[in-house]
Amino acid sequence: MAYWKIQLIGWFSVSFYWGFSAFFTGDFSWKIGVADFILDVFIGITLTHMYKNFAIRKGWNKLNLKKLVPKIAISILILSFLYMFLIVSKLYLVRLFILKGSMISFVVFFKSMELQIFITGTRLMSIWLLAYHLFHYSRLEIATVKENAQLSLRIKEAQLNNLSAQLNPHFFFNSLNNIKFLVLENPDSARRAIDLLSELLRNSLNSNVGRLVPLHDEINLVKDYLELEKIRFEERLQIKMEINVEVSKYLILPLSIQSLVENAIKHGIEKRKNGGFIMITIEEENNYINISVQNPGKLCKEIKGSGIGLNNLRERLLLQYNGNAFFKIKESIDETVLATILFPFK
Amino acid sequence: MKKIKVIIVDDERLSREELKNTLKGYEDFVLIGEAENADAAKSLIETEMPDLLFLDIQMPEKSGFDLLESLDHVPAVLFITAYDQYAVKAFEVNALDYLMKPIREERFAKAITKIRDSIHQKSTSNNLAAKDRKIFIKDGEKRFFIQLDEIYLIESLENYTRLFFQGKKALQRRSLRQWEEMLDENIFFRINRTEIINIEYIQEVKQITGGRLVVKLKTGELLEVSNRQSVKFKNINKI
Repeated sequence: MAYWKIQLIGWFSVSFYWGFSAFFTGDFSWKIGVADFILDVFIGITLTHMYKNFAIRKGWNKLNLKKLVPKIAISILILSFLYMFLIVSKLYLVRLFILKGSMISFVVFFKSMELQIFITGTRLMSIWLLAYHLFHYSRLEIATVKENAQLSLRIKEAQLNNLSAQLNPHFFFNSLNNIKFLVLENPDSARRAIDLLSELLRNSLNSNVGRLVPLHDEINLVKDYLELEKIRFEERLQIKMEINVEVSKYLILPLSIQSLVENAIKHGIEKRKNGGFIMITIEEENNYINISVQNPGKLCKEIKGSGIGLNNLRERLLLQYNGNAFFKIKESIDETVLATILFPFK
Repeated sequence: MKKIKVIIVDDERLSREELKNTLKGYEDFVLIGEAENADAAKSLIETEMPDLLFLDIQMPEKSGFDLLESLDHVPAVLFITAYDQYAVKAFEVNALDYLMKPIREERFAKAITKIRDSIHQKSTSNNLAAKDRKIFIKDGEKRFFIQLDEIYLIESLENYTRLFFQGKKALQRRSLRQWEEMLDENIFFRINRTEIINIEYIQEVKQITGGRLVVKLKTGELLEVSNRQSVKFKNINKI
């Protein structure tokens, strides 16, 4: 809508200006003036509108400046030539029909007009094309900037979630409380727990978001974490680990297995009176490392959809692997929940 | 000094042990039982009738709040939590004590002193158990400890009831009949099929045509008493 408004206003005022200047040159004929005016508007709009359709079809609105500029330059040249031919022909024909007969030959007429009209055409087409493309280019720029801002916001959010997820305060204070009693009941176990907790704390403080870690390191982290949780839940927590890959060989997303295990503890052990089994399996499978964590329990909507930990994991996987790593969580018939990540080999 | 009977409710053994150890120094507090989940705790509380509950909020399947809600008679409670913003928020409504794990000795001593005072004060000043009876109710996100005699009106809404107390309202899952059985009949009177009132809140009683009564509560409500209950009310109060 805005396009047509600008087209009409633009070409009307340009054509009106010419009519106006012709009016003061002396021998002004109303018939010629009106015919010139209508045809000027028509030619201007037709040419530029055809160009617009062509540019859209070719996707020029989505090009960057470097690619766009030469295309615009050539287009201006071609359009100016077309404009020149059309306008000169128009002028000649209008005069031929209205003045009847008393006209010089077309070639002579053409030669007397071509340069002046060509320059006018170049000027008009340049203005039109530049205005048109600048408008679209700026719109594209704004959209890109917006998109970038959103992306970086998402990354920041993920980092923040990550941080609070690592420093799980509930876990941290519970562990300290347990250690407090273990100091009396079983000093060796208390000393061990302090070592483990320190390691976990150090790990979460040195969090290296955005870099991959050796699978080996991630497994050690998970083992430390589970050993501490074992102290807390005692016989309520049973653990089984099956690792069938060479752990020093691969790099994976940091805190990925840890997120799954924490989630498994939270929903499979902490919320169940009798606790249960947590089973971790790591194996190779058609160019992927398959990591799965199984825990007892049911998968409610809340866990599947909006759990901060798992959503965060999903997002980090997407950012890091561009859709080449896969995560899914599902409930099996025998009241167990199985979470799986597939990492491509790196 | 009278002994204070204590029950510890926490799903983690180490946590219970740690608490027991801390409690050792206070000889007038006697541990009479411990439970590792809400269901076990409920039956233990109902048979042992403790004076004080050390209660963990986060427990499997049923939380500490769920436990309290299921009790008809709630003893004094000291909440123990590792880290729970939710819980801390709940107590902005009622000034009640809670302790954070690991519990500092000084902080524990303070809480114990407070509890000891309030329990002894109650048992000396007033022997009417009904007056001190507390219940724990939840209305949406808000939680309240209320003394039964703070309730002035209970309204039946099919399977639910609406409680009026301290200028607030709360919807409860108990039926009107359950309330009637639970409440002291010297204070609470059922005026018709859908309402129970606290007679201590009556400001005015008027008789209308047909001998029926209309009561006006101090809080402003005007309520009609059914024919049958009007007769009963007149008999009891010798009007």
